[in-house]
Amino acid sequence: MTKQQWRRALPIFLTFLKFGCFTFGGGWNIIAQIQKEYVDKKHWITDEELLDFTSVGRSIPGIMVGNASVLFGYQAAGVPGALAALLGIVIPPVLIMLGVVYVYDLVKDNLYVARAMIGVRAAVVPIIFSAMMKLFKSGIKDLFCGLIAVGAFVLCLFTNLSNVLIVLLGAVAGLAWQEVRYRRDLS
Amino acid sequence: MIYLELFLSFLLIGFTSFGGMSMVPLINDQMLSHGWMTASEVADIVAIAEMTPGPLGINCATFAGARTAGISGALVASFGVLVPTLTLAMLAAVFLTKFKESRLMNHALYGIRPVCIGMIVAVMVQQSMNNYAGALLGFLSWPALVIGLVCLLVLLRFKWSVPKTILLAAALGLLLCGLEAAGPLPI
Repeated sequence: MTKQQWRRALPIFLTFLKFGCFTFGGGWNIIAQIQKEYVDKKHWITDEELLDFTSVGRSIPGIMVGNASVLFGYQAAGVPGALAALLGIVIPPVLIMLGVVYVYDLVKDNLYVARAMIGVRAAVVPIIFSAMMKLFKSGIKDLFCGLIAVGAFVLCLFTNLSNVLIVLLGAVAGLAWQEVRYRRDLS
Repeated sequence: MIYLELFLSFLLIGFTSFGGMSMVPLINDQMLSHGWMTASEVADIVAIAEMTPGPLGINCATFAGARTAGISGALVASFGVLVPTLTLAMLAAVFLTKFKESRLMNHALYGIRPVCIGMIVAVMVQQSMNNYAGALLGFLSWPALVIGLVCLLVLLRFKWSVPKTILLAAALGLLLCGLEAAGPLPI
């Protein structure tokens, strides 16, 4: 843990605090938020690295959003960065839920809350889509990658295979294909 | 000792699930077997977790912890559900950074990245089926559809940030769903 890492941890914490207030829809839009801030604007990480954090984060037990935040934070600023990102992403939902516990019955069936939520939910898919558009190019570099992506999509949507297994299958396919090509090029 | 029980319970939930809805059956099981909540309360939490930002696991842990043992209960339960993230994801982060230059790691990631794209598209399809459900043509909601398109436009064309887009979506939800409730479309 260097001094520079600790210095970087505070801005990461504050940014993730903001992300934490807006991670609706199963948390996948955290990917879109990280991409806008740290790939497009600050260039701390690449699209490829973001894809790695997402799929690795998804295949570790526990909370995917938290896992992806830790992976990003560690890469950006070591252990202090990882803790800062995780705390930032977790504090807002904990505080908001604590509030909700006390106004639970008021909010539960409130008409206006329900209407606003229809809007928020409708925004989730476009937000994920906007991130996916840019990730597409760095994830799918050739036809073989395209086939893997289609396979993963089908397995995710139409089977009960766990995400871990699907990610592992992708890793095995990638290893096998690339090793064969690598060895062929060597000889 | 209620705190220890809460902690262990959510630790177990964290280690045996992979985020999002996959946590619901486990949470249901733990809450009912400890008598901390009724089945309909669990259903309510899932609905509330959808309404508030943040990962489902954190929202449930906070809610269940607060209902059974107040604010400290909420903190203990949230900490429990985060243990896999603090241990396994942290290890993965170290591992990923250490072997980043290795050939085999890169070959595996070549296969993992497209899997991530496939998973994201699958999530978008699943979310669309929930978020745009309504009466139009028997299965679509026109306010949700309009909001979705507007969000897509501001995100892609005008490069709006995610928080800004979500606030706009909530406002549009209030407005358009109000209109929808006021009567059928004039067309």
